[in-house]
Amino acid sequence: MTNHEGPGITRRRLLAGAAGGLALALTGGRLRSPAEAADPGLGTPPTDQPLRTHVARPLDAETPPQVFTQYLTPNDRFFVRSHFGPPAPDLVAPSVWRLSVAGSVERPLRLTLNDLSTFDEITVTAVVQCSGNGRAFHRPKAPGVQWEKGAAGNASWTGVRLRDVLQRAGLTARARHLQLQGADRPVAASVPLFTRSIPIEKALHPDTILATRMNGAPLPLLHGAPLRLITPGWMADSCVKWLTNLTVQEEEAGGYYMQTAYRYPSRPVKPGEVIAPQDLKPVEAMVVKSLIAAPQQGAILASGAVMVQGVAWTGEGRIEKVEVSTDEGRTWEQARLVGDEAPYAWRQWRFLWRTGGSGRRTILCRATDDRGQVQPMASPWNPGGFLWNGWDHVQVQVREA
Amino acid sequence: MRTRWGQRAGWLFLLPVILLGPTWLATGRAEEQPADQQAQRLLASRCAVCHSTDLIQQQRLPRDRWEATVDKMVHWGAQLDKEEAALLTAFLATYFHPEAGPVVTLPAAPSIQADQAGRESGTAPAPGGAAARGAALYKQNCLACHGEAGSGGVGPKLAHNPILAQADRFRTTVSQGRGAMPPWGAVLRPQEIADIHAWLNTLRD
Repeated sequence: MTNHEGPGITRRRLLAGAAGGLALALTGGRLRSPAEAADPGLGTPPTDQPLRTHVARPLDAETPPQVFTQYLTPNDRFFVRSHFGPPAPDLVAPSVWRLSVAGSVERPLRLTLNDLSTFDEITVTAVVQCSGNGRAFHRPKAPGVQWEKGAAGNASWTGVRLRDVLQRAGLTARARHLQLQGADRPVAASVPLFTRSIPIEKALHPDTILATRMNGAPLPLLHGAPLRLITPGWMADSCVKWLTNLTVQEEEAGGYYMQTAYRYPSRPVKPGEVIAPQDLKPVEAMVVKSLIAAPQQGAILASGAVMVQGVAWTGEGRIEKVEVSTDEGRTWEQARLVGDEAPYAWRQWRFLWRTGGSGRRTILCRATDDRGQVQPMASPWNPGGFLWNGWDHVQVQVREA
Repeated sequence: MRTRWGQRAGWLFLLPVILLGPTWLATGRAEEQPADQQAQRLLASRCAVCHSTDLIQQQRLPRDRWEATVDKMVHWGAQLDKEEAALLTAFLATYFHPEAGPVVTLPAAPSIQADQAGRESGTAPAPGGAAARGAALYKQNCLACHGEAGSGGVGPKLAHNPILAQADRFRTTVSQGRGAMPPWGAVLRPQEIADIHAWLNTLRD
């Protein structure tokens, strides 16, 4: 575990880092980095749709669904989640930040940001989604941040292939897992670090990237600056932020956040059931899911034609279709898939709804992917409240035009 | 499941009486602090060191999950003794149970100002501190953020901090909080703050 704290970063400086995170967290929903503000490519962020804060410190905040009418989720509207908040900016400044590559490698590396920039650059547009997104909808309630719909976003991530970096270090025959450690630290030293690992196959996948830019702008501190792992198609518990240490090893990472948290039953379980550790596997790939971005919950609509729009995505496959129901799920009509189609990104969809009549109505949507996964009415309960992908629903009021 | 929890929730309301009765009698400050208020003070002083309490208030968990959660937090360093942990668990299971609904109304939160007024009215300007007591109080309440021997951490270094030269300002800062530091007036009495102050003044580099 000594490799968790890079040389030159003392415990106290790391604690000071946590204080920096605290200060940042207290600024609430305004998350724009100066670099991002200066980038004209993103357009003007919708300032009337701030993130919805679930936990003020360390900051956990979700994106309002109406932001998902945009293909790319703006950086300052992208959900924020971490266990301890970001490290202090001076701890991850280019002059002091280093990426260590160690463990079962032939040539351990210590890379600067400049060193990283010598590898081939790659951009992947990918959904990043918290494993607990939708936890609030599980019954019985699962402990944890009560995320509803918006702990997900679609962004373009630019960086270098993790594979290229690992190949420069040279993997030994014992390489099975890659342990990931960021520079974030808990308030108290007695709290376990957020240490994660991914299987070496995912680490060597050509689309798995070490990202330094998000939607064309430098990665904001809240989103993992200067370096964040992006594991396209997988839940965000693998997308470790503020990365400082990669350790190639034979075993999965030990510790709470790999061995206890972020695990999902490998067999069907009864709600509330206590599950033996050997029946729990790490949360990895995302499941098929769609969300309604417009109209908004509670909207009052004039009877007639209403454009329903949203997004749909799945883990490692592609979206085949999205269906909409406006009669409580009795009948479904196919929505039109629109816009860009890219692996790992979400697909936008539209559905022209002829409301007829008036009164309180519910719009439902469900997606199907090319591997036959269909969004269920409700997702199976599991102790961590992970992988919610039940039909999305929005209630509206239709009035005579 | 719903039915079982419903029944459970029914008798949960009796838990504070069952569980806290003995605790309440055994605690020195019991006569001035109802259990609910003590629990809310613990939330502010023990839990909020690491995370804001909104994280707690959005949970709706049965008692066994609250027990497991409080146990986990104690294991991770939350400064709660056994009685405090039991009191806090009972409070959480009473108000934040699965049937509680989206909005939980808590009993009136303890008012720090009122506390301070009550405690300080008519008292002598500032009590003299006992460093020996202060060392233990520091470890229990301050160390997580201010580090071993006041060396600093998330919170500023306190050893040789200029504020130590101003006893009144020290006391006000501790009791009312400052910036990211939560107010401790509901937890620490003026005498205890003075004890911590006295101990910090004994520190060498």
